[in-house]
Amino acid sequence: MQVTLENVTHTYQPGSPFQATAIQNVNLTIRDGDFLALIGHTGSGKSTLAQHINGLLKPTQGRVLLDGQDIHAKGYDKKEVRRKVGLVFQYPEHQLFEETVAKDVAFGPKNLGLSQMEIDERVKEALARVGLSELDAEEKSPFELSGGQMRRVAMAGVLAMRPQILVLDEPAAGLDPQSREDMLDMIASLHRQGSTIVMVSHAMDDVARYATRAVVMDKGAVAMEGAPEEIFRHGETLEKMGLDVPSVCKLGLQLKKMGLDGMENCFREEQAVSAILALWKGGKGHGAE
Amino acid sequence: MALNNITLGQFYPAESVVHRLDPRVKIILLIALIVAIFLAQNLLAFVPVVLFLYAAARLSTVPFPMLIKGLKPLRFILILTFVLNVFFLQGETPLLDLGFTVIKKEALITAVHYSLRLVLLVLASSVLTLTTAPIVLTDGLERLLSPLRVIHFPAHEMAMMMSIALRFIPTLLEEADKIMKAQTARGADFESGHLIQRAKAMVPLLVPLFVSAFRRAGDLAMAMEARCYHGGEGRTRLRVLKCERRDYIACAVMALLIAAVVVLSRLY
Amino acid sequence: MSEAIISVEHVSFAYEEEGREAVRDVTLSIPRGAFHAILGQNGSGKSTLAKLINGLYLPTQGTVTVCGLDTKDDQNTWEIRRRAGMVFQNPDNQLVATIVEEDVAFGLENIGVPTEEMPGRIEKALADVDMLPFAHRAPHTLSGGQKQRVAIAGVLAMRPEAIIFDESTAMLDPRGRKEVMAAVKKLNQEQGITVLWITHFMEEAVNCDRVHVMHDGQIALSGTPEEVFADPDKIRVYRLDAPPMARLAQQLRQAGMPLGQGILTVDEMAKEVCRLCK
Repeated sequence: MQVTLENVTHTYQPGSPFQATAIQNVNLTIRDGDFLALIGHTGSGKSTLAQHINGLLKPTQGRVLLDGQDIHAKGYDKKEVRRKVGLVFQYPEHQLFEETVAKDVAFGPKNLGLSQMEIDERVKEALARVGLSELDAEEKSPFELSGGQMRRVAMAGVLAMRPQILVLDEPAAGLDPQSREDMLDMIASLHRQGSTIVMVSHAMDDVARYATRAVVMDKGAVAMEGAPEEIFRHGETLEKMGLDVPSVCKLGLQLKKMGLDGMENCFREEQAVSAILALWKGGKGHGAE
Repeated sequence: MALNNITLGQFYPAESVVHRLDPRVKIILLIALIVAIFLAQNLLAFVPVVLFLYAAARLSTVPFPMLIKGLKPLRFILILTFVLNVFFLQGETPLLDLGFTVIKKEALITAVHYSLRLVLLVLASSVLTLTTAPIVLTDGLERLLSPLRVIHFPAHEMAMMMSIALRFIPTLLEEADKIMKAQTARGADFESGHLIQRAKAMVPLLVPLFVSAFRRAGDLAMAMEARCYHGGEGRTRLRVLKCERRDYIACAVMALLIAAVVVLSRLY
Repeated sequence: MSEAIISVEHVSFAYEEEGREAVRDVTLSIPRGAFHAILGQNGSGKSTLAKLINGLYLPTQGTVTVCGLDTKDDQNTWEIRRRAGMVFQNPDNQLVATIVEEDVAFGLENIGVPTEEMPGRIEKALADVDMLPFAHRAPHTLSGGQKQRVAIAGVLAMRPEAIIFDESTAMLDPRGRKEVMAAVKKLNQEQGITVLWITHFMEEAVNCDRVHVMHDGQIALSGTPEEVFADPDKIRVYRLDAPPMARLAQQLRQAGMPLGQGILTVDEMAKEVCRLCK
């Protein structure tokens, strides 16, 4: 399955004094099996872009295609898009509303008009996928859970619709280090199990560790696109856009300034370890001569 | 983001004399003007009121279309008042014979009188709300009502509540927009179905919104306490309302206006 | 030795509805002018501790003294809150007024500062956090980092001796975090305001004078950042993570590279690598 954004422009409140163009002329293809990171600082248009992928926002200009078909064309069933593309908002725990965890997770499947048996099965499966199968979902209220658990329940609510593409807006925002790690591992495992992932993030270390492809948004336009290693090679450009680079890249840039090359292609911790060790061994060898 | 630029009420920001008038004075002027409108016994007595409103509107620099926007929701009531009065009031001087009924002069005058009264009332309050920011209005109300503290009327608390509500309306609107989108992404449908279905569809929006409002209220109460808030007692204010020359002039004009209305009402 | 501005002695605290102690026998002392950090996962009791210092909660056992004033004494409450201000986590939920300038005035109004004195204080407070150009804006039109700086100005205007930051950067993007962090460091260095910085971002703790790690209601580890982060494995026990450079340094050392101790930042790491490899 494939989602293509074709020359998409979105203007909020067009024609009013508050008119604001959030994204401009964006072209982007999301392919099966991608773990795509959408990078950009607040106001760069990345959240607006994410909301186009499942048709929540309609482009002011341009088209959004799902397997080649325009999702905003007359007669196209919007529910089809919602079923195939799941969207998890920032702080999704703020959307929980049902009396029990099970009922809340069932909300999506119910809206799809599935049978009770199918719904029950999906709820169970979704909770298992977010690592909450131990939870007494039939009895527990979502409001009794810890923050991290609530977020998982909210994610299960989207997973229960069995989307093929999962769009996540800052899934780790506000979590402490351990919960953050757990959350990202969980997303990585969903990816391994075959889901296509689009993750909005400004934590570059996370992007470096998990993403297979990255898109950098700046001022509403796509500024860079490619594999993380290609993107992070342009560390200085990213910093000019007000973005962070992975700390390993920062080290590489700093060393380069100090006249030591050899870490240009590092953006993950393990790569840095071997690169520095190579430098060290090379340096020693050089010194011994 | 879409709702970021929401403006509240119908305040029209500008730097006019009318904007700068003390809000207490403006509230009192509005009340006085309403009294004058009801005192006016004939059409001639409306002339000073109309002139006053015209002057206020011109001085305020608020564009004319914005001024009359307040009348739009009232247009059916206006037409209805007018038509009912014209057709059903009794009178002596026939004016126009429509065949099925005869319109009398007295009926027409009364109809115009009632409709004009309604229009003027709405316009007068529009001038106040267009030229006074909600928060300033709240401030003015608080000061006006503060003497009522002796009978334990919570003027300060009321004003604080209003001001917090004004502060949080944009935040909650943004939040509502987000929750609505999140539920739509889960297949919720807020738009179709009959009334009961639609009301039921609001539950996934309203519950999270209430939960969020309560959470925010708790946070805010704690933040206010941490900043030494302990009610209105011993509180000083950044903005002290002070009547200036223009305020006295406005009051004097209003006094003359009421006198004129009374005299003109008697004359006729 | 400088005097302790905040002193927490054998303090325990339990929420009425829970019964379990959120803070257990904590002892802590912060000297005037210092910049201390408290680290801990969610639910470790770090926020509860912050609220105990500000007198929002009162200890069930032990004593909290701020500027020599006991928080348990009712008469001290407002003086303590003025002298030790607090900035909270959610930028949206701590601004009260519809205009930035009036929000900064809120605290001043509460403590009864004369009207004539207010504009000067507000202007200075806003200028100190680089928010003066936004004095007449509505809070909801500002970014998260800007809102937090307004909140700081609101506390600053009251001329506090210490400010407690209760995860004030947790909801901000990297840019907002940097803005707020820079503003706070400046206040600490230039005005000598004591800072207690509560966070779960390790990078924010590397430059402070002392780090206290909270776990399960207790202070589990205390020391300079170099001491606390020396062993990344140790800190992981408390469900925290060492700063990236400390982790990297540990791996390099394990591979036999003779790196010096106390590497926490990119600059420190770069210097060491250059020393060894050039």
